[in-house]
Amino acid sequence: MATSWVLAEYGDEAALCAAARRLRALGHKRLDAYSPVPLHDVDAALGLRRSPVPLIALVGGVSGAAAGYLMQWWMNAVDFPINVANRGFHSPPTNIPITFETGILVASLSIVIGLIVLAGLPRPHHPVFEVEGFRTASMDALWLSAEVKREDEEAVAREMEKSGALQVSRVPEGSR
Amino acid sequence: MSVETRQMATESALADLLEGPPVLVGSPEDRKLSEDIFRPVWEQTRRGWLALFGITLGLTGLLFSAIAYTFAKGIGAWGNNIPVAWAYDIINFVWWIGIGHAGTLISAILLLFQQKWRTSINRMAEAMTLFAVIQALLFPMIHLGRPWFFFWLFPYPSTLGVWPNFKSPLLWDVFAVSTYFTVSLLFWYVGLLPDLAALRDASKSKAARVAYGIFALGWRGSARAWRHYRIAYLLLAGLATPLVLSVHTIVSFDFAVSQLPGWHTTIFPPYFVAGAIFSGFAMVLTLMIPARKVFRFEHVITQRHLDNMAKVMLATGLMVSYGYLVETFIAWYSGNPFESFVFFNTRARGPYAPIYWLMITCNVVVPQVLWWRKARDNTIFLWFVSILVNVGMWTERFVIIVTSLHRDFLPSSWAMYRPTIVDWSILVGTIGFFGFLFLLFLRFVPAVAASEVKELRRELEHERHQQSHDQAAHGS
Amino acid sequence: MPPLGSGAKLPIYGQPAAPDRAPADGRHPWRSLRVLGAGDGPSREFDEGAAEPPAGFSRRTFLQILGASTALASLQACRPARQKIVPYVRPPEKALVPGTPVHYATAVSLGGHATGLLVTSHDGRPIKVEGNPDHPASRGATGSLELAMLLDLYDPRRERGFRRGQAPLAYRSLLRELTALAASHLADGGSRLRFLTAATGSPLLQDLRRRILARFPQARFHAYESLTEDSAREGSRLAFGRVLAVRHTIAQARVILALDSDFLAVGPEALRLAREFAGRREPGPEMSRLYVAEAQHSVTGACADHRLRMKSSEVLGFARAVAARLASRHGHSQLAPMGATPSGSPAPGDVRIAKESAAVADDLARSSGRSVVMAGSRQPPAVHALAHAINAALGNAGKTVEYAAPAFDDTTGPASLQPLARDLAGGKVDTLVVTAHNPVYSAPADVDLGTLLGRAPNTIYLGYRDDETAARCSWVLAAPHPFETWGDARAHDGTVSIVQPLIQPLFESIPEVELLAAFLDLADQGAHRILQDYWRGRAKGPDFERQWEGWLARGVVPDTAIAAEAAAPHFVEIAAAVKAAPQPPAGLEMTFVPDYKLHDGRFAENAWLQELPHPVSKMTWDNAAYVSPATARKIGVEDGARVELRLAGRKVEAAVWIMPGQADDVVSLPLGYGRRRAGPVGSSVGFDAGPLRASDAPWFAHGLAVAPLGGAKHVFALTQEHFSMEGRDLALAFDAKAWSPEKVEHLKGPSPTMQEPVDYQNQQYKWGMAIDLSKCIGCAACATACQAENNIPVVGKEQVLRSREMNWMRVDRYFSGPPEDPQVIAQPVMCQHCEAAPCEYVCPVNATVHSDEGLNEMVYNRCVGTRYCSNNCPYKVRRFNFLNYRGDMSPTEKMAMNPDVTVRTRGVMEKCTYCVQRIERARIETRLEGRAIRDGEFTTACAQACPANAIVFGNLNDPRSQVSKLHQDERRYDLLHDNGTRPRTAYLARVRNPNPELS
Repeated sequence: MATSWVLAEYGDEAALCAAARRLRALGHKRLDAYSPVPLHDVDAALGLRRSPVPLIALVGGVSGAAAGYLMQWWMNAVDFPINVANRGFHSPPTNIPITFETGILVASLSIVIGLIVLAGLPRPHHPVFEVEGFRTASMDALWLSAEVKREDEEAVAREMEKSGALQVSRVPEGSR
Repeated sequence: MSVETRQMATESALADLLEGPPVLVGSPEDRKLSEDIFRPVWEQTRRGWLALFGITLGLTGLLFSAIAYTFAKGIGAWGNNIPVAWAYDIINFVWWIGIGHAGTLISAILLLFQQKWRTSINRMAEAMTLFAVIQALLFPMIHLGRPWFFFWLFPYPSTLGVWPNFKSPLLWDVFAVSTYFTVSLLFWYVGLLPDLAALRDASKSKAARVAYGIFALGWRGSARAWRHYRIAYLLLAGLATPLVLSVHTIVSFDFAVSQLPGWHTTIFPPYFVAGAIFSGFAMVLTLMIPARKVFRFEHVITQRHLDNMAKVMLATGLMVSYGYLVETFIAWYSGNPFESFVFFNTRARGPYAPIYWLMITCNVVVPQVLWWRKARDNTIFLWFVSILVNVGMWTERFVIIVTSLHRDFLPSSWAMYRPTIVDWSILVGTIGFFGFLFLLFLRFVPAVAASEVKELRRELEHERHQQSHDQAAHGS
Repeated sequence: MPPLGSGAKLPIYGQPAAPDRAPADGRHPWRSLRVLGAGDGPSREFDEGAAEPPAGFSRRTFLQILGASTALASLQACRPARQKIVPYVRPPEKALVPGTPVHYATAVSLGGHATGLLVTSHDGRPIKVEGNPDHPASRGATGSLELAMLLDLYDPRRERGFRRGQAPLAYRSLLRELTALAASHLADGGSRLRFLTAATGSPLLQDLRRRILARFPQARFHAYESLTEDSAREGSRLAFGRVLAVRHTIAQARVILALDSDFLAVGPEALRLAREFAGRREPGPEMSRLYVAEAQHSVTGACADHRLRMKSSEVLGFARAVAARLASRHGHSQLAPMGATPSGSPAPGDVRIAKESAAVADDLARSSGRSVVMAGSRQPPAVHALAHAINAALGNAGKTVEYAAPAFDDTTGPASLQPLARDLAGGKVDTLVVTAHNPVYSAPADVDLGTLLGRAPNTIYLGYRDDETAARCSWVLAAPHPFETWGDARAHDGTVSIVQPLIQPLFESIPEVELLAAFLDLADQGAHRILQDYWRGRAKGPDFERQWEGWLARGVVPDTAIAAEAAAPHFVEIAAAVKAAPQPPAGLEMTFVPDYKLHDGRFAENAWLQELPHPVSKMTWDNAAYVSPATARKIGVEDGARVELRLAGRKVEAAVWIMPGQADDVVSLPLGYGRRRAGPVGSSVGFDAGPLRASDAPWFAHGLAVAPLGGAKHVFALTQEHFSMEGRDLALAFDAKAWSPEKVEHLKGPSPTMQEPVDYQNQQYKWGMAIDLSKCIGCAACATACQAENNIPVVGKEQVLRSREMNWMRVDRYFSGPPEDPQVIAQPVMCQHCEAAPCEYVCPVNATVHSDEGLNEMVYNRCVGTRYCSNNCPYKVRRFNFLNYRGDMSPTEKMAMNPDVTVRTRGVMEKCTYCVQRIERARIETRLEGRAIRDGEFTTACAQACPANAIVFGNLNDPRSQVSKLHQDERRYDLLHDNGTRPRTAYLARVRNPNPELS
C-alpha cells in the first residue's frame, strides 16, 4: 500500500503539539516530531510510552556481572586450578573488580545497542531527508511528520496548514 | 506574603552573587550558537594549527619508532633493571590514565548533579579522556618482555590450556582500562550524535555531508529517538560515574595489593582517584584555556567554568596532600621499619629526594594559590598552575614507583635507576601523540556540544521566565 | 662487554689453524663416548681439513695446506687411536644410554697441585665440573676456578693448530721439525737448549724432563709461576735444612693463627681446609677460634673471629711478639731467641700489637697440640720458619701440621727466571721451549722477558691462547684443554691422579707430553701410550690394564700419597734468619695479591670468572687499588679516583676503591688484570700490577707513592652497592657468649595468615634448603656452580652497571661495626621458594606457580615478562632477560649448555629452581629402581660445590634428613620472616667465637 510522508515546520513547541494532538484525534497515529534538542511535551502529544532502555541496561548489567564472576570461578577454580601463592582456588574478594567491570561493560554496550535499535538507526536515507528545508531540524527548527496513506495526503497537509505550519511539504514513498 | 517576596528577592540576589559569572553569556539564538560552535570545523585551516599539527605528527613518529626499537632490542632498551623492574612504562601509564579521568567525571558526575556549568566543557573534556586513555593503553602492551604475547592476558582457550590468573591486579587492570576506554568512547559518541547530524545538515559540500552523514547514523532528532536518547545518555552517565572511580582504584591496587614498602598502603585507592581528578582537571585547563582563546569561545566557556575547575583542582589537590600526610603518618605510626625507612629516608633524603620535593611543591604548595579569586581569574596564571600540577602528578608516580623499588627489603639488592633516551622519547612521544589526536578533534568535531548548549539556553530562559513570573504573581 | 660469540663456525679437528673458517660440513667434530669406548673412532677428519683453506687465503698458503693435509691423511695410521676412557663409579653399560649424563674422574692442576674432579659428560659433551669425593684435595668440593675451566674448553677464541711465524704447520710436519730441531742440539749436549715450564707435579712430565736431561745434559729446565710458593720452600729449608711440604689438618684445631694466610680460598689445601674449618664452627665448647693477621681484606679474614689488621711487613713483628710471649709466659724457652717483645713505645700500633699478640699467644698455648700457626705464601721465608718453630714448640707438629717431601721440587719464582734471563741476554740460547703460563705477562718487572725472547732464534710457545707470550715467540703451538688430553698429576699430598680426556680436542693441539716427547724421538707414540708405558712400569701386581681402569674410574692412584716424616726445626738458624729480617719502615706499602677470579691472569678470558663478584668487594670486570678509608682520606681520593702508583722508579695507573677493613697505609692491587693481549673478553680489563712487581719484592714493597691523577672517575661495576644492613635482621651473627636461641625466636615459626596453609606433609617429598652462615666462607663457588649448571648467561660490565646481572645465586656481603675495622658476614641468597610466594599471585598469566611438592616454579614458555613478580619479591632474587643475552652463541659455546635446563629467551623472567632438573632425574632413576630418593643421594649444584658444606638441600618430609634436622636447629631463622612468605630456605645464624681477652 503506497504511503506518503507529510512534513510541516512549526514556529514553537506549543503549535507543534497542538497539531500533533489534532492529527491523532483524526486517527493518524504514525506521527513524529523533529527538533535540535529534546522537547518536553511532545512525548505526551505523540502518545509515546516510557523507554525500555533502563530495563535493557539492568538485564545487561546483571548478566554481564554474573558472566564475569562465573568466568573467573570456572577458569581458576574448576577448569585449571593451580596453587598460586597458597591462595584458595576460588577467592571471592579477588574476583570483585573484574565482576564489576564486566557488569558495567555489558550494561553500557546493551544500552547503546538498545538505543540504536530502538531509534531505528543507522538509517542514512530517510524520506524526511528529501525535503531541503528539513536540514534546519537539527539546527533550530521544529518539524512534524505524518506517514499516511497516499489518499489521505491532501487532508493531512491541509490540517497542518490550518494548525499554523510555517511550511508544508510532501514526500511520496519511493519517489526517489 | 511580602515577607516571602523579600526573602525570595534576596535569595535570588544572593544566588547571583554566589554563582559569579554566568555559564552562558547572553542568550544567543540557536542558529548563532551553531554557527559559532561549528565555525572551527568549517573555517579554513589555520597556520598555527598546521604548525602544531606538524610538530605533534613528528613526536608521534618519534613515539612509534621508539616503540619499534624497544620491540627489536627488548626492554633492555629502557633503563629498567632489577630491582627497579617498573619505571617510565608504568609511570606514564598511571599518569595518562589519571589524566583520562576528568573528562568522564565532568560529563557524567556533573550531569548527574545537574551542574549547568558542565555543558559547554564536557565535549572537550571527554575527547581529552579518550586520547589520554589511548596513550595509557599503549603501555600495558609495550612494557611486556614479550609484547607479541600480550593477548595471553585475555581469558581465551589457549593451546597451553592454562587460564589467566584472576588474582593478579594486572589482570584487573586489563579489564578496567579496556572497559573504561569502551564506555568513554560510547558515552562520547552518543553525546556527539546530534551534533554530527547538525554538521551533516549544515555542511556545504557533498563530501562533508556524506562523511558526517555516515557518522550521524541518520540521526533525525525525532521525538521517538530523543525519548530513548535522553534516558540512555543519563544511564551511561550513571554507569560511567562509578566506573571512573573504579578504574583508578584498580590501578592503585597494582601497588596497594603488593607487599612492597611504599606500595602496600590502604589509602591508595581514594588518594589515587583524587590524584586522577586533580591531574585530569589540570590537563583540561591546560588544553581549554588556549583553545577557548583561539576559537573565541569565551561566551560559551566562560570565566565561571575556569573558576569552577580551579576550585575542583584546589579541592582534589587538598585530598592528595591529605593522602601524602596519611601514608607518611601511618608509616611512622605502624612502627614498621621498612615502611618508615621508605618515607623518612629513601624518599625525603634519598638519592631521588629532589624529585620528591618537586612533587610536594607542585601538588601541595602551588595549588594553595587557588584560594585567591584573583589567581583563579587570571587565565594565564591559571594555565601555568595547571602545567605545574601535571608535572607534579608525573613526579608523584615516579616517587611511588621508582623510589619504593630502588631500596626495598634487602640492602644488598638496592640499585639506582637511570632512564635512557628511549624512555624519554616514549614519554615525549605520547604527549605528542595526544596533542596530535586532540588537534584532529578540534579540526573535525565541534569542541563544544552545540545541542546541549541550546538545551542549556532554553533551561536558563525557562528559569528566568519562572522567576519573573513568580515575582509578578507575588507583586499582584 | 664484547659479544661472547663471534660468528666463528664449528671448527673441525685436524684442520690447520685459522681464525674463523666455515666448517667443512655440519658434522660434529667430537664423537660420542660410545664411539670412544668402542675405540674405533673414525678419523676421517684429515680429508675434511684439506677441503678448507684458511682465512687470509692465498694460492701459496693453499698449496701448503694441501701438502700438509695430504701428508696427514697419508699418515693417519700413525696417529694413536681413540683410547678408552672409564666413567666414575657408575658401571660402563649405563654410560651407553643416550641422554643420561656420565661422570668421569679427572684432575686439573693449578701451580703444580692437582684437584680431583668429576666431570659430568652429556652425550660426549662435558657440561659440568664437580669435585671428586675420593680425591684428597677435593673431597667432593670445587672452587670457582675449577668450575669455570669448562667455559675455556668451549671458547672459540682459544689458540688453534700450530704455526711458525705466520706459516701454519700440520701436526706431522710439526713433529718432524721438532725432531730435527732436537737433533740439532745433540752435538753440544743441548747447551743452547732451554725449557721454561710451569710448576708441575706430574710424574710423567718430571720423568720426561729427566730423560731429556739425560739426552741433553747441558740443557736447562726453568719453572715459573707468577703465584710462586718459593718463600714457603725457603722457609722449610731454613727451618729443617731441607725442602718440605707443609700439610695442615685443622679438623681438630681449636685455635688457628693465620699469618697473612688466605688458606680458606687460596692454595692447594684450600678446599679441604675450608671443609675442616667449617666442621668446627658450630657453637659449643669445641668451636674453633680463628685469628687472621693480614693487610688486604681476604676471604679468610672475613671468616676470622679476630682479624688483626696490619701491613704485610708487620706480620713478622707480630709473629715474633707471639713467640716472645710464648717463651716468657708459657715456658717455650726455645722460642726466646727469635721472639721480640714490641717496644713499649707509645706508638698505637705497637700497643695494639702487644695486646693482641699476648692474647693470641695465650690462646695458642692454652690449646697446645690443638692449635696451628699458618704462614701465607706471600710472607718471607723467615715468617714460615718462625711458624714452623712455634708449631714445633706448641707440639702441633704431627697433629695439626705435618711435613713431607714435596710433590715437586722446583723453584718457581723469580729466582728460577733470572738465570734464564741472563742466558737469553747473553745470547746463550738457541731454542727455548715455553710451556709456562704466559710468562711474558706475569714475569717480574725487572725481567723484560718479552724482549729477551727475541734474542733466541727458536722460541717455541705451547699456549692455550694467543696471548702476550705468543706474540713474542717464533713458534706458537696450541695446547689442549686439560679435559682434552692424557696425563697425570699429583695432589698436594702426593696422591697421583690420571688425567683422562673427556672429549676429542675441539681444535688441533699438541699436549705438553707429546711436545717434550718430540725431544726424545717419541712423539709418534702419543700421550696415551707414553703415559701408559710410564705407569706400566710402576704398577704393583700383574694385571696392569685392570688396575689402570680402576685408577681412571676412581680418579686417584691408590697409596701414592707421600708419607709424612718427622722434622725438627733448627731453632738457632731460624732465630738468626728472623733477627736478620729488616724492620718494616713507615710509609705507604704496596701489596700484590692473587686474584680470586683470574688467579695469575690466566683466566682473564673467562667470562664467568670476570663477571663473578669479587668475594669481598663484590666487584666484577675489574680489579682496583684497594685502600682503607683512612688512607683514602690521607691521599685525598674517593672511590673510582684515578691514581698513579709509583714504586722504585716504576709506575702504573690504577683506580682506587675504598675497602673497609683494609690495613692503613697499604695499597693492594690484585694480580692478573690489565691484560694487553687476552682477547675480546679480558683485554684491558682492570689494572696491571705487573710493572710494579720486582723480583726482590714479589709480594709487598715499601716506598710506594700515590699521586691522584684527577680527571674522570673510573666506573666500577659492583653487584652490591650498599654494604650496611640498616639494622635489619638479615644476616645474623652473634658472639658465642652473647648467643642464645631466644635471639632468633621472633624470626621463625608460623606467622598469622588468612589463608589456610597448604599441607605438604602428605607429599612424598617436600624440598627445602638450609644455609649455615657459621660455615659459609663466602667464596662464591656456589654462584659459579649455579651458573654452569643452569646455563646462566654472562651480561658484561655495561649491563652489570645497569644492575642486570643474571646470576640466580648471589652471595650478599654485609659489613658491621666501624668502617676502619668492620665485622663481615656473607649470606648466600637465591630463590627462597616461599610457600606463600608474593611473586606468584601478581603474575597475570600464571607463569610462576607452585608445584605439589612446594617448589616455586617459573614457567618460561608462559612468561610474558610483566616483571611484576620481581617487584613483589622481597628478596629480589628474580632475574630478567632484558636483552637477548643468549643470542650470539658460537657452536662450541652451545656445546657447553646443560641439555636438562632450558636456555631462556629475551623478555623472560628466571630464577633459582632448586635445580629441579636434578630433582627430576633423581626421581626418574629411583622410580626405575622402585624406591624413594635417599637423603644426600643428589643435591643442588650450589650445595654440591660448597667446600664448607654450608648449603644443605633435601626432603623436609623425611625427619631423618640432614636438612630437616637443620630446620629444627636452634640457630635456624627465616629471612624476612615478618613478611609471612614462609620460605623453604632456612638460614642458621652465624656464631662468632671471639677471645674474651680481646673484646
